[in-house]
Amino acid sequence: MNPRRLYRRFASEVLVLPGRTTVLAVCLVLLILPLFHRHPYTLRVLSLTFIFAIFAASWDLLSGFVGQLSLGHAIFFGVAAYTSALLNLQAGLPPLVTIPAGALVAVLMGLVVGIPCLRLKGQYLSLATMGFPIILTGLVYLFSDLTGGELGVSGLARLGPTRLSEYYIALVLVLGLGLIMWKITDSKVGLVFHAIREDEITARASGINTPLYKLLAFCLSGFFAGISGGLYSHFMRVAGPSTLSVLTSFQPVIWTIFGGVASIYGAIAGTFVLYPLMEFLRVAPELRTLIFAALVVLVLRFMPEGLTPWFIDRVESECPRCKEHNAVTRRTCRVCGAPLGRPSAPGAGPFQPGKGGRVAG
Amino acid sequence: MDSAFFEIEGLVKRFGGLTAVDGVSLSVDMSEVVGLIGPNGAGKSTLVKLAMGLLRPDRGSIRFRGREITGLPPWEIVNLGIAGTFQNTRPFRRMPIIANVMVPCLAPRARKRGEWVKRIEAKARDALEFAGISDLALEPASHLSHGDLKRLEMARAIATEPDLLILDEPFGGLNPSESELLAKSIKRLHKGGRFGRLHSEGVAMIIIDHKLSDLLPIVDRVIVMHFGRVIASGLPQEVVNDPQVIEAYLGREEVEGDGHPA
Ligand SMILES: Nc1ncnc2c1ncn2[C@@H]1O[C@H](COP(=O)(O)OP(=O)(O)O)[C@@H](O)[C@H]1O
Ligand SMILES: [Mg+2]
Repeated sequence: MNPRRLYRRFASEVLVLPGRTTVLAVCLVLLILPLFHRHPYTLRVLSLTFIFAIFAASWDLLSGFVGQLSLGHAIFFGVAAYTSALLNLQAGLPPLVTIPAGALVAVLMGLVVGIPCLRLKGQYLSLATMGFPIILTGLVYLFSDLTGGELGVSGLARLGPTRLSEYYIALVLVLGLGLIMWKITDSKVGLVFHAIREDEITARASGINTPLYKLLAFCLSGFFAGISGGLYSHFMRVAGPSTLSVLTSFQPVIWTIFGGVASIYGAIAGTFVLYPLMEFLRVAPELRTLIFAALVVLVLRFMPEGLTPWFIDRVESECPRCKEHNAVTRRTCRVCGAPLGRPSAPGAGPFQPGKGGRVAG
Repeated sequence: MDSAFFEIEGLVKRFGGLTAVDGVSLSVDMSEVVGLIGPNGAGKSTLVKLAMGLLRPDRGSIRFRGREITGLPPWEIVNLGIAGTFQNTRPFRRMPIIANVMVPCLAPRARKRGEWVKRIEAKARDALEFAGISDLALEPASHLSHGDLKRLEMARAIATEPDLLILDEPFGGLNPSESELLAKSIKRLHKGGRFGRLHSEGVAMIIIDHKLSDLLPIVDRVIVMHFGRVIASGLPQEVVNDPQVIEAYLGREEVEGDGHPA
């Protein structure tokens, strides 16, 4: 394709929408940031932000889209962290092998968690998912010769030779995997995921094998969470029981709800804001958690659907006729030419936990 | 052919102490349109959910084309060729209408191998066109009126191109002109043919209503249920004169409905 056509297409797909333009700007800033500022501490915080953003997005894929509210997502993160760590230390495999291997084990864990959860709905499913990391933590302590017990296994190979290379590895992965997850939710499979969340009975009556799709969601989510777990262990050079902790399970929930549920980019945006903030608040260690919680509550008070829907609502409007988004500054729709009135009715509504998990009988 | 197209035998479904379906046996022939009527609470909707595989019967069997389908999961039943609608409409609320109908187009029965989303969308549009709500395709289902939700149920069911279509009170809550439109599309569907990408070949139907008037012009045969049992079955004229049927409806509503001529 010639460059001018390519540019025109880019302009008509990306530049016309402030939301997409913002995403592009953030990506560019992050890509060139190390040219101007490469303090190791900044790079470290941002690299961890990227790694955790993958984790948050994987939670959104399962809980936001398919409505299977997982409160034990650390199981995927932790099992992959330990797998990568042990493969690296015991078998001497490099991160390029151990991280995908950890993710594959997390996929299997998706089946282990998903199969018993098929018969559960709503809060019972959430409770059950919470149990799995606890069981695995127990196993970690039980086999402490292998797992190092409380201290975990340490001395892993670094993710990359320098902090800068690690930064770029994490950045490229969060952008790439984020795009893949977003594409999944935008595909035929994503349509079925949405349908299961909205009404599982209707999906079944429409000829959809819903248990199969739910298992697929558990495995996909496990895969991406597993990648982030493996990245984390190689980045920190240690895998310990904290990767399986309740906090690890709850963080992606908070980040995603803050950023906006069921969009993938909301989960990533939420992590991008909250993780560095939490780090920054280390300056006041006693008040850190308090300030953090107060901020989250306050922000959600004014943006009940989260950050990204609130932002998009400010900068874009929906065409009443063709439902395409337009910049708020436009008077007529860029696609169908219909006049654009003021506020449009919201499309996808707020997240309602448990609503998606109904099961027949 | 010794086995019927669709056959229910001795079906029983209990909810706690209540027997909602109490030993129902009935059969439907290929391309036959059967009306199933009965007062509220007669067990009609329960029977539909049993046939769709959404509930498991306590006893009895359901056969489709000679094959036992009792206990099969709902999606397998759909993929064998039975589709049904819900009396209390159940759309995917926060999804656009078109996406509501694209979901059944993704069922293995409706999907051709390697079909693109665009093709599936076009097929869903044909189903909406048929049901008469294609102009609402992009609206979220939560914005639809009651009558349009009924049509959405219909569109979703026909999107899988079923051989047996079960409609649970499709006329419920519709005004006379909406009813007339619906009756027309039901007849059109039964006559068969191509509707865009959808194909139908004399679909057999079970149409449920609590009164007969809407059904008279469409159905070949009527089955009457009362307290979970079949109390009469036959041509519409025979049924309305059946003393048991009159008894069942006594003090409720007229069998033929509130006066408007059939
Ligand atoms: N899920 C259920 N749990 C308990 N009772 C039910 C349930 N579904 C239906 N019933 C009862 O079964 C009977 C038959 O209901 P239904 O099949 O909906 O009747 P109809 O569709 O003929 O009006 C009613 O008495 C109803 O209250
Ligand atoms: Mg009913």
